[in-house]
Amino acid sequence: MTSILKLSNIRKEFTGTSKKPIIAIDHVSLSVERGKTLGIVGESGSGKSTLGRIMLRLAEPTSGTIEFNGEDLLARNPREMRAIRSKIQMIFQDPMASLDPRMTVRELVREPLDIHKIGTVEERNRAVEEIAKSVGIAQDALEKYPHEFSGGQRQRISIARAVINRPELIVADEPVSALDVSIQAQILNLLRSLKEELNLTFVFISHDLSVVRYFADEVAVMYLGNIVEYAPTEEIFSNPKHPYTQALISAVPHISTDAKRERIILTGDIPSPTDLPSGCHFHTRCPIAKDICSTETPKFEQVAPSHLASCLLLASKGTKA
Amino acid sequence: MARYILNRLTQTFFILIGVSFITFMLLYILPADPAVQIAGRSATPDTVESIRRELGLDKPLFVQYFNYMINLLQGDLGRSYLQKSEVGTLILSRLGPTISLMFFAILAELILGLFAGVVAAIYRGKKLDKGLMIGSFVTVSAPQFIVSILVLYVFAVKLGWFPIGGYGKPIHYVLPALTLGILGSGWYSRVMRSSMLDVLRQDYIRTARAKGASQKRVIIRHALKNAILPIVAMIGLDIGIFMGGIVVVESVFGWPGIGQLAWQAIQRVDIPIIMGVTLVSAVFIVLGNLFADLVSPFIDPRIRLKK
Amino acid sequence: MKRKSALLSLLFIALIILSAIFAPLISPFNPSEQFKDGLTLQGAPIAPSGKYLLGTDLLGRDLLSRLIYGARTSLIVGIIANGVAVIVGTTIGLLAGFLRGRLGNLIMRFTDLMMAFPALLLAITLSAIFSPSLLIVALVISMVNWVQIARVIYTQTISIAEREYVLATKGLGATNNRVITRHILPHLLPTVLVYTTLGIATTVLLEATLSFLGVGVRPPTPSWGNIIFENQTYFITAPWLVFIPGLAIVLLALSFNLLGDALRDELDPTQRGLS
Repeated sequence: MTSILKLSNIRKEFTGTSKKPIIAIDHVSLSVERGKTLGIVGESGSGKSTLGRIMLRLAEPTSGTIEFNGEDLLARNPREMRAIRSKIQMIFQDPMASLDPRMTVRELVREPLDIHKIGTVEERNRAVEEIAKSVGIAQDALEKYPHEFSGGQRQRISIARAVINRPELIVADEPVSALDVSIQAQILNLLRSLKEELNLTFVFISHDLSVVRYFADEVAVMYLGNIVEYAPTEEIFSNPKHPYTQALISAVPHISTDAKRERIILTGDIPSPTDLPSGCHFHTRCPIAKDICSTETPKFEQVAPSHLASCLLLASKGTKA
Repeated sequence: MARYILNRLTQTFFILIGVSFITFMLLYILPADPAVQIAGRSATPDTVESIRRELGLDKPLFVQYFNYMINLLQGDLGRSYLQKSEVGTLILSRLGPTISLMFFAILAELILGLFAGVVAAIYRGKKLDKGLMIGSFVTVSAPQFIVSILVLYVFAVKLGWFPIGGYGKPIHYVLPALTLGILGSGWYSRVMRSSMLDVLRQDYIRTARAKGASQKRVIIRHALKNAILPIVAMIGLDIGIFMGGIVVVESVFGWPGIGQLAWQAIQRVDIPIIMGVTLVSAVFIVLGNLFADLVSPFIDPRIRLKK
Repeated sequence: MKRKSALLSLLFIALIILSAIFAPLISPFNPSEQFKDGLTLQGAPIAPSGKYLLGTDLLGRDLLSRLIYGARTSLIVGIIANGVAVIVGTTIGLLAGFLRGRLGNLIMRFTDLMMAFPALLLAITLSAIFSPSLLIVALVISMVNWVQIARVIYTQTISIAEREYVLATKGLGATNNRVITRHILPHLLPTVLVYTTLGIATTVLLEATLSFLGVGVRPPTPSWGNIIFENQTYFITAPWLVFIPGLAIVLLALSFNLLGDALRDELDPTQRGLS
């Protein structure tokens, strides 16, 4: 039950061309348990991708702290960071964009070992060949270039690259969103087997609820830079408390024989991140919003066992354990 | 928008200061001693020393620069080492011929270049287009002095229609302006051609239902109006380019402008004049660029919206 | 059509380079040798004919020989000058683009400053004052030429550095050094190649102009520009002394320009100048 990654009060602002800053992440605190998978769900603009990058310090938070294995990540100097980077890896959404088109597959997959000078060149090449086998890349594909492959295969290359140096934590940012549905299942299964084989901890970021349900142990739902609900996967799917989560889940195509579920449709557009709504950020689209929701900011607190959410209406009537 | 203008103006100011500083430094490190030059070969060391003191050349570098800048801001560009006149006056007297030549040169460039560009666009893909575009490459690849000599040879020597260099009568403008016109037309013709093609592509689609050759005339005239817009900004840049290279043309044609003044000064290492002309040229270059930058947003609304 | 002209350009350039390298072998005469029968009875140059294929110059030297050796000078100066300009410009542009921030901005402001200078004027002044040597001329030319490529490389570097594979490599823990040399530089090479080719055209022209004014390569070392300089008083009576070297200069610059333009189309269709 140890925490491998802990984010506290993370805030990220971008200064754009206009005077007002874009608030990508308003206020996020979370903790990732070793060996588990945390799923982060949200629409585009929720800040989930930015959060993913901040976890690796590929983007700097405006304020807040990041603890990796108990160490303060933000206090590390560049040289120390580079060493730590072999322990936290990222899998990007667009495998074509994240692979240098001028390098062969072998060079790409071997690069983490080259960078950290692990073993001799022969040993590295052998490691590449082994990982290629685990990941489903043919041996003769190693001398080819990324553009010669399909999306699914490129993602395998990205995955091979991410795991070859035995990281402890992997942040996967929409790893299957760019792939065909049939391929998605293959890649998800690959990730699952790698997770067990290599004892990996995962943070799985996606807008696709059904994918997250399949893969994650716990789920955090994000809206406009905040986590609005957090609970174990099955709990959040069977018992969603926050109105936003409820709306998201109702939209997932679902053949169910039990309780009839109505599709909750949210009104309005997503507000601009430069001009966040007052009080609860969700109140402009919330189907059950009351007056109090536009003036008071909800606290992120427990609304059921192991279940946290930030909604003023829940806090007043929810059960506190 | 106003902020953008203010920004560019401040930038311009600092660039000019930077230019004066660098010019000063560059000429300061030159291995030529002006005091010796002025004094002449047979002067005694004492004379040289006193001249040096008079010119303030014995003072440390920064003091000299400081004095120079103070004078500059009052419009005083210093005094020529070798002639007995003030640099400012000299330059002013030569500015007229240069600027008038620039005017006619740019006119010639526009006439030749725009015409070539439009024709090339209309006959796109055909031999005429290809020929004109190769021609544009040739004009960009030919050194100024070659074209100048060629023009002189053909029109003044062989055909005898024009005088070989000189200044004073309108006819003297023709050959130098023609030379510069030919040289600069390549640049304009290429931009005009692609600009026309862009516009024609749109207009053509819009009036696809038009019938008959007369419609073509209307299309072309309308297209011209729009295609010419980027050219206006180019003129600003052209002023800068012109100023950068007048030495050659003025030398070959014996044109009494600041280019020739600079050339003579260089040969005699008359530093104040060289600095003065460099500064004046830089002012023109920078103002030309400023004009191009300020004019672009008005001409192309897409740029304006970005601001 | 472009391919054809590019091919012809390449052939011409190769021809000139070979002539320059094998000058001693193919040159009919020694370029410095002044022949008694190289001048008319009145002491004027001889027109192209029999013994002297392209005629002689004001000192009775064979023009063709001087032209062949002059190719050496023009190419050497052009290539050195351009090489230095490209190296300096690429390094500065790359650093400014990669580091961004205050430093990058400052560097770019400096290039703005350099662009405000009347380049030719400065080149002439410096060449005139420093002792004449091929190297000095080349260095002066490169001093005014590095700015353009620096600016182009700067914008390209910024665009490349923002690409996801650069971020991914940083995420792997790569040093800046590695990111620049293995992931940014290789993507800049096409642009560098294009601008190197186009740049030689500019440097060749600049050297010719400087030499024509008498401040570039000084005689007796032949350069296409200074051949014209030496013989300008004869230009009416012996125009071939001006126009043959002149033609050579134009053809060489034209070849590099056409080649560079074709390369640009090949390597980066989005930057097309002519379409």
